[in-house]
Amino acid sequence: MDNLSEMLKGVLEGIVLEIISRGEIYGYEIVKYLTQMGFEGIAEGTVYALLMRLERNRLVNIAKKPSEMGPPRKFYTLNEQGREKLMSFWAKWDFLSSRIEILRNNGGNKHEL
Amino acid sequence: MSFSRDTQERINRFSKEQSQNYLQDAEMTYMEKLRKKSGQTKRKIDKQLSKFRGRSDQGREAQDDMILYMSDYMNDLMSQGLTEQEAFDKASKELKFASNSEQSEDLNERFQQYYENRDPADYEAIGLFYGGFLFLGLGIGGLTGFLTGGGYEAFFDRGWIDTAIGAGVGIIIGIGLGQITNAIIALKKK
Repeated sequence: MDNLSEMLKGVLEGIVLEIISRGEIYGYEIVKYLTQMGFEGIAEGTVYALLMRLERNRLVNIAKKPSEMGPPRKFYTLNEQGREKLMSFWAKWDFLSSRIEILRNNGGNKHEL
Repeated sequence: MSFSRDTQERINRFSKEQSQNYLQDAEMTYMEKLRKKSGQTKRKIDKQLSKFRGRSDQGREAQDDMILYMSDYMNDLMSQGLTEQEAFDKASKELKFASNSEQSEDLNERFQQYYENRDPADYEAIGLFYGGFLFLGLGIGGLTGFLTGGGYEAFFDRGWIDTAIGAGVGIIIGIGLGQITNAIIALKKK
């Protein structure tokens, strides 16, 4: 779907945390995963910056493994803090999506909100 | 897939430059911050700075990360049919740091405001206030010390000590008044 980047800004961190939670993964592999899921509009630089932020905020564990291209490759897994953040993201998501769904189904009926 | 030597060098150069932009200021060494801020004179001072410890471990790590990330991306693009050159152009365009964070926008705005409101006359006035108060303090302090120390007759005995103390205190008061004036001007310009 086109023009998703604006809407994804607030939730991309949660999406990436969820992807990392599924198992050890390296940076560009996440981009490929997102592309396969249909999130093609996400700029590669956005994911790179996001990974740096996850690392800086100590939400991920990092294992460095030798790569064929020279420098060691970083593989990410979620740590306890990351898991908590992910749970908090899904709680917020559930709240938000349920409210939006109510709004969508009830249309303009203010009293039923 | 490996790249030509020329492309690999360009990836390394690009990564070295751009990865530092992605690093938050908090993670940079003083030298890196200085490099980032002094964009225009970067090349000139880089030569000088390279003599010192110019790059933090985090900076080097970020560069390595970006080299791999960019190489993966380019390999992906090339597997889709792009040439090495096209892949590099696209990857460098996508990965070039775009400063869109709220913090950077706020900083840019503040810098802009600062330079728009910046008046050389203010700095001249502040300098003159400092100089004026300094000389005034020196004069009044020295004279008070001289007179209370016994004047001309006692000066070469112990009076010079009072004069020197008076002058010193006067200088301190002068600088203090200069600072207060500086603060008042800065607050008025806010």
